[in-house]
Amino acid sequence: MKKALFKDSIKEIKNTYKRFISILLMAFLGVGFFAGVRATSPDMLDTIDIYYKNQNMYDIQIISTLGLTIDDLNSIKKIDGVLETYGSYSTDEVIIDNNSEHVIKIMSIEEINKPILKEGRMPSEPNECVVESKMLSGLGKNIGDEIQLKENDESLLSQNKLKIVGIVESPIYISMQRGNTSLGAGSINYYTYVPKESFNSDLYTEIYIKVKDASKYETSTDRYENLVENVKNNIDNIKEERQKIRYDDLIDTAEKELEKAQNEFNEEKKSAEEQIAEAEKKINDAKKEVEENENKINNGEVQANKEFANAEKLIKQGKEEIYSNEKLYDENKEKAEEEINKYENTKQELTNNLNTINTGIEQIDIKYNEIQLALSNPQLSEEQKNQLENTAGLLEKQKSGLEQNKNEIENGIEEINNGISSAKEQLKLAEKQIENAKIELKEQEQNLEKEKSRTYSELENGKKEIEEAKLEIQKGEEELNINKQEFEKQITEAEEKLNNAKEQISEIESPTWYILDRYGNTGYNSFIQDVHSIENIGKVFPIVFFVIATLISLTSMTRMVEEQRGQIGTLKALGYNRMQIASKYIIYSAVACIIGGILGMCVGFMLIPKVIWMMYEMMYTITDIHLKFNTYYALFGLGVACICIVGATAYSTNNILKYEPATLMRPRAPKIGKRVILEKIPFIWNKLSFSHKVTVRNIFRYKKRFLMTIIGILGCTALIVAGFGLKNSIESLLPKQYGKVFKYNMQVSLKNGVDVNSFLEKVRNNEKIKNITETNISAGELTNKDSTEEIQIIVPKNADEIKNSINIIDLKTNESVELLDDGIYVTDKVAELLEISEGDIITIKNSDDIEKQVKVNKIVENYVSHYVYMTRNTYEKLFEDNYSTNIIYINTHQMEENDEENLAKEIINYSEVSGVILTSTVRNAMNDTLKSLNYVVVVLIVSAGLLAFVVLYNLSNVNISERIRELATIKVLGFYDKEVYSYITRETILLTIIGIILGLVAGYFLNSFIISTCEINMLRFAKIINPESYVYGVLITFGFATIVNIFTYFALKKINMIESLKSVE
Amino acid sequence: MAYIEFRNVVKEYKMGEIIIKALDKTNFTIEKGELVVIVGPSGAGKTTALNILGGMDNVTSGIVLVDGREVSKLKNKELIKYRREDIGFVFQFYNLVQNLTAKENVELATQICKDALNPDEILEKVGLKDRKNNFPSQLSGGEQQRVAIARAIAKNPKLLLCDEPTGALDYKTGKQILKLLQNTARKENMTVLIITHNSAIAPMADKVIHFKNGTAESVEINKNPVNIDEIEW
Repeated sequence: MKKALFKDSIKEIKNTYKRFISILLMAFLGVGFFAGVRATSPDMLDTIDIYYKNQNMYDIQIISTLGLTIDDLNSIKKIDGVLETYGSYSTDEVIIDNNSEHVIKIMSIEEINKPILKEGRMPSEPNECVVESKMLSGLGKNIGDEIQLKENDESLLSQNKLKIVGIVESPIYISMQRGNTSLGAGSINYYTYVPKESFNSDLYTEIYIKVKDASKYETSTDRYENLVENVKNNIDNIKEERQKIRYDDLIDTAEKELEKAQNEFNEEKKSAEEQIAEAEKKINDAKKEVEENENKINNGEVQANKEFANAEKLIKQGKEEIYSNEKLYDENKEKAEEEINKYENTKQELTNNLNTINTGIEQIDIKYNEIQLALSNPQLSEEQKNQLENTAGLLEKQKSGLEQNKNEIENGIEEINNGISSAKEQLKLAEKQIENAKIELKEQEQNLEKEKSRTYSELENGKKEIEEAKLEIQKGEEELNINKQEFEKQITEAEEKLNNAKEQISEIESPTWYILDRYGNTGYNSFIQDVHSIENIGKVFPIVFFVIATLISLTSMTRMVEEQRGQIGTLKALGYNRMQIASKYIIYSAVACIIGGILGMCVGFMLIPKVIWMMYEMMYTITDIHLKFNTYYALFGLGVACICIVGATAYSTNNILKYEPATLMRPRAPKIGKRVILEKIPFIWNKLSFSHKVTVRNIFRYKKRFLMTIIGILGCTALIVAGFGLKNSIESLLPKQYGKVFKYNMQVSLKNGVDVNSFLEKVRNNEKIKNITETNISAGELTNKDSTEEIQIIVPKNADEIKNSINIIDLKTNESVELLDDGIYVTDKVAELLEISEGDIITIKNSDDIEKQVKVNKIVENYVSHYVYMTRNTYEKLFEDNYSTNIIYINTHQMEENDEENLAKEIINYSEVSGVILTSTVRNAMNDTLKSLNYVVVVLIVSAGLLAFVVLYNLSNVNISERIRELATIKVLGFYDKEVYSYITRETILLTIIGIILGLVAGYFLNSFIISTCEINMLRFAKIINPESYVYGVLITFGFATIVNIFTYFALKKINMIESLKSVE
Repeated sequence: MAYIEFRNVVKEYKMGEIIIKALDKTNFTIEKGELVVIVGPSGAGKTTALNILGGMDNVTSGIVLVDGREVSKLKNKELIKYRREDIGFVFQFYNLVQNLTAKENVELATQICKDALNPDEILEKVGLKDRKNNFPSQLSGGEQQRVAIARAIAKNPKLLLCDEPTGALDYKTGKQILKLLQNTARKENMTVLIITHNSAIAPMADKVIHFKNGTAESVEINKNPVNIDEIEW
């Protein structure tokens, strides 16, 4: 029996496949949309999770204002829950390309946050890099080209030229935003990776941490976040200590360095001074020497002159002497010659005497010889002999007398000769002496001349040398002076440097660690926010689908059961129990529901996340969503669909089964015609044409369908209006925040403790700038009723100046307000989140963690992030702190975006400025993010339209099938096709109009609802729906209604009069 | 020439692969103003013939002439026009629009006709003057059928076709309805065709056509039709 019933069910499906399909389609849509939309956010989470796991994305990132040391790394490694730590480097650099500057973020390639190679290869040399593809297109470069970094003394890189060897995608930058920087126009344009070796630093820029067991859980889940939070807290515990160590270390090193520098300075100064002293001494010595030499030369000259004069005098004397000697000589010579002559005469006489003697001697000798001879004669007697001997003796005596005379004479002669010769000799000698003297004198004269010229030239030379020496000394002096000046300068400079260094040391702030989790990453943060907004949307919209799917199935199944009342009656009469009879319809609907649901979840899981992802793909670099079969949502969706559809079936079956078989086998008592309320107002009723009366009656007759149609249309219109409204709200956000509320063009942040006035002067003189507002902006927290929100505290220097830059609008009166003392002005979204109203006393905490109670003066309009405004007085009184300007808002005159960027570049180059944020940049960046929501809106609108179509088509089919006899009758009566069509469509159109009107209203509320549901914490969407959105809602709904009506027209044409009129089923 | 003529009319239905001949070379004629009763067992083809005559169905072959017009050749739109202007149809189950009052049901027909009769007058004629503002559900079966007849004749048709008009009615009411039809035919000189499986009422007709196995087996002309009140069954 049951088998027979089952067969019957299957046959029924075959016979009424259209109805089956329509129920199947409802289940398909309901489950598909629910499962798909619901699965999108987990799928997206899954995708980023897998992506992050593959790229070994960090769990915690630590950055310090003063860099991180290996000791920091090691001590973090020891922390409980830390799995692995990675020290990494990054730096911002400017590259110049075609005269335009781009700021790039250069990161080291690490085992953590691994970039994905898209093209080319990874760099292996320190002068190679890989870049993001956008950078290549942006700079018009290719792999293999080089980029040139701008000179930067503080560069952490060892290279200033990098060769591009590949294209990568960074898990750090999954969105379009690249963050802010203090370089260039203030924002980073592109990112680049280089090998670790390219960095030339002993400090890590950041430390990345992998948390133990964190990879077991999916990112952003509570379990994951708890794990990370714990470790973050653990790190927070050592933070102070590490900061102090680092600070002390820094101070220590700096002081040591300073000391060293001071010593070096001192030494250098000393040695320089010594050198200078030496040089001075040398110069002085040289001067002295020169002076001495000069004196010497002068003295020498004088001496020489004197000497020469003496010498000349002597020579002159010598000459005179010689002259007088000559004269004397001549006189003496005459005298001597006279004497000589006398002597000659005497000599002559003597000679003559001598000759006489000699003759006498000779005679003697002859006599003596005759004696001798005679003696020699041996016959000679002795007296002869004696006589002879006597005579010989006498002769000898005579002879010796003569001989004596002769000797005397000869001596005399000789004496005379001697005298003459000596006189002559003496004369000669004298002459020679004179000659000699003359020669000597001449020589002396010559010598003197020589000496003179020599001496004088020597003197000249000496003088020259002195002159030269003097010049040299002068030069030396000049040089010394220059050197001295240089030295002075260097010394002052060095001293200044030292002083600066000292000051710097005193200014060394304690380093601050920032312990960030993945939310610190802009890309991740916005991704997760997007995931959450999709999740929120996924909570609202599928409900609408389910409700409508349920209602449609209810109508369809009721109709089906109704059509088969005869059969049901028969079965009942045959003795089947209610359960058995109902099972057919339940099987029917369950099969439709399960098949439709399964198909729906398959398509939904595949398609919807993919479609939504496609939209997001434009916003994020993560490729390929990881689709998975989400069993929870699958079963949940299917379950809900089954409960709705099968429940509706059971309900309508049960409604019929309660009747007795006899009642059932009779044709159902047609719905009773009734007068409608309108008929009681004759004045309207009577004016209606006949067909309109019919329409009105019919509408009121089929109340269920009437409601269903209206709900369907209403839902559709509302969804479309809400969708477009959401788009409007999203689109209006930025103009409202950065047009209505924030009016400044750029926000300039100043470095700590700089001279604000000097900056202001520069800026005030710039004619491109219209006006400026000095403010102090700091982070803070608001607490009310146990919940806390982070805010920014804006304190203008002059309360009346702020209106140039920020329009503070009272939310209640919609008018600009002046800031008054003794109270704060809270922006609306945070007020809403914390349930703050005007006049409340709430707790405010400033950046120094000082908590104070303060009164809320006004709630003011704002759209992006949270702010608290207060006057300077309020601030100073409240926190007992002095106001100091750190942010300056600038309003420029009307200018092109390019000029604005140039102006920003100009301003950022001022030494006082640490960063410039252009409103237009922020706006563009936000615009990109918000655009992604637009795509979701498109998906919504398309789905809404689809839903409207299915609903209308289904209702129209039910309508036709329910009224087929009526339609057949009027066809028999001779209604033309068009008349039949308008007979039935008039109702539909009227209902559509009613539905649309209600839908427009509902759309308004749905929009508010969606906005408050999927609104991001930091954003307040203006609940705005532009008039054209309503128009779109109307047009699109009408469009779908028209398509359905066209289908209806053909369905009506096909109605077979004979079949329909044969008999009541 | 006869006012209505069926000439070798064949009507075949395809039921899957089987072809069923609902009418097989049917021939008969009807004169203007005649009250014709078509009798025959179920499945004999009488309803098919009536449907074809009423412009609700077309023929497979053969010719149907009404007032000199070849109805069997009419295209869809002409067929509608033919139904609209020339035919009044009374159904077994009245087929009133439940949501409309008696008068409105009549108006449903009159508003699409050029020379329609006054609905109030017609309703008065069918004896429903006091109930014209009632909804069908507030009327008895006979009253409903009267409304249906009023709706059919209000169009002032050339032909009034009635398919088992008494089928769903009790004897007495049925008789009243037949009386109304007879009167209408006589007084308005309207050509009226009544299909019935109840051959007992045949004597009331001017002409009786017997259907069997898809053909008009015999046509007998009743020289002296009996008043319906005199017929008992």
